[in-house]
Amino acid sequence: MQGELKHEDVEAARRDLEYRTLAKIGGDFARLIYLASMRDYNTGEYHHEGLARQFSESLARKALASCHQEVFRRLVLCSVRELVEELEIYARLNESTFRVWEKLQPYTVTVPLQCSPLTARFFALNVRVALAILQSRQRRAHPDPRSASPRQ
Amino acid sequence: MSAQLYFLVIGAIAVAVPVLVLWRERQRGLNENLLEGAEETSPPFGGDPVTSELSARIFDPEDSEFVAGETSRQTARSFRRQRAVLALDWLGEVRKEVNLLMRAHRRAARDNPDLTPADELKLGFEFLLFQVTTGTLYLVIWLVGPLHAARLVGYSLELAGQLRKLSEDILPAGTRVAVELLDIEPQAKN
Repeated sequence: MQGELKHEDVEAARRDLEYRTLAKIGGDFARLIYLASMRDYNTGEYHHEGLARQFSESLARKALASCHQEVFRRLVLCSVRELVEELEIYARLNESTFRVWEKLQPYTVTVPLQCSPLTARFFALNVRVALAILQSRQRRAHPDPRSASPRQ
Repeated sequence: MSAQLYFLVIGAIAVAVPVLVLWRERQRGLNENLLEGAEETSPPFGGDPVTSELSARIFDPEDSEFVAGETSRQTARSFRRQRAVLALDWLGEVRKEVNLLMRAHRRAARDNPDLTPADELKLGFEFLLFQVTTGTLYLVIWLVGPLHAARLVGYSLELAGQLRKLSEDILPAGTRVAVELLDIEPQAKN
């Protein structure tokens, strides 16, 4: 099983992951964060306890990598307008996200391993500008009476 | 400045920029080969299929218009500038892939007795056309940004696709080296 993975088996693991886990996560951005968090920072390999138990470690890895690439592809090829909507969905679940994201830029480590530097830069630029748009909208909706600082 | 002199300067720039870009990429390619060894067998865009699809987004005016409507002038300008840098880098990648393809073709052609001069001339002409078009595209992006270059991008990608097909047609299957390098579909035709 280790050497050759059958396409149908990977697909089955993939479907299972999509149906049982990813479908329950709201929005592609949250899915991307989830899938990237399944990856070991040092080895770049994915791990999912339940999926590995049900299929096998290597099938689970392959399925996670495949879903990660697919979700990332959808986000990187969507328009900035759509990306803003995705981030809005994500922000509803995680209130303090943007303040932290502005400093840490964690979205830069959510790119799949196969992603080219050009694609990674493109994605980071889109997320940065989408965050700026959301912050600008927030400021307009809830202006801070203490600070009269202009928009950046 | 008289009109003739003005056109002469514009013409000289239009010729010089593609030549300069070509020369710079050739130098860069030589240096990379020296440092990294032969990379002819590497897949397109470093194995990332998404990069070849990026052109549709990089050259699409929708994002810039949306950003301009939603943020400050400064942020919108910065976004446009960074998109232009990305567009130039993307173009550099496409040119690099085509140059690799042509290098691989030249190597394979050396040992192939079945090649016809007419086919090679046709391929050479297409390559020259590609270089001039992408050189002009480089200039257009650099001067006015990627949004005004969408049509030329579509044409450049069409030429790259033709080059790939020509190279495949000319070389028999056994002597093909890396014609699969390019797998680019023309997308940005808007």
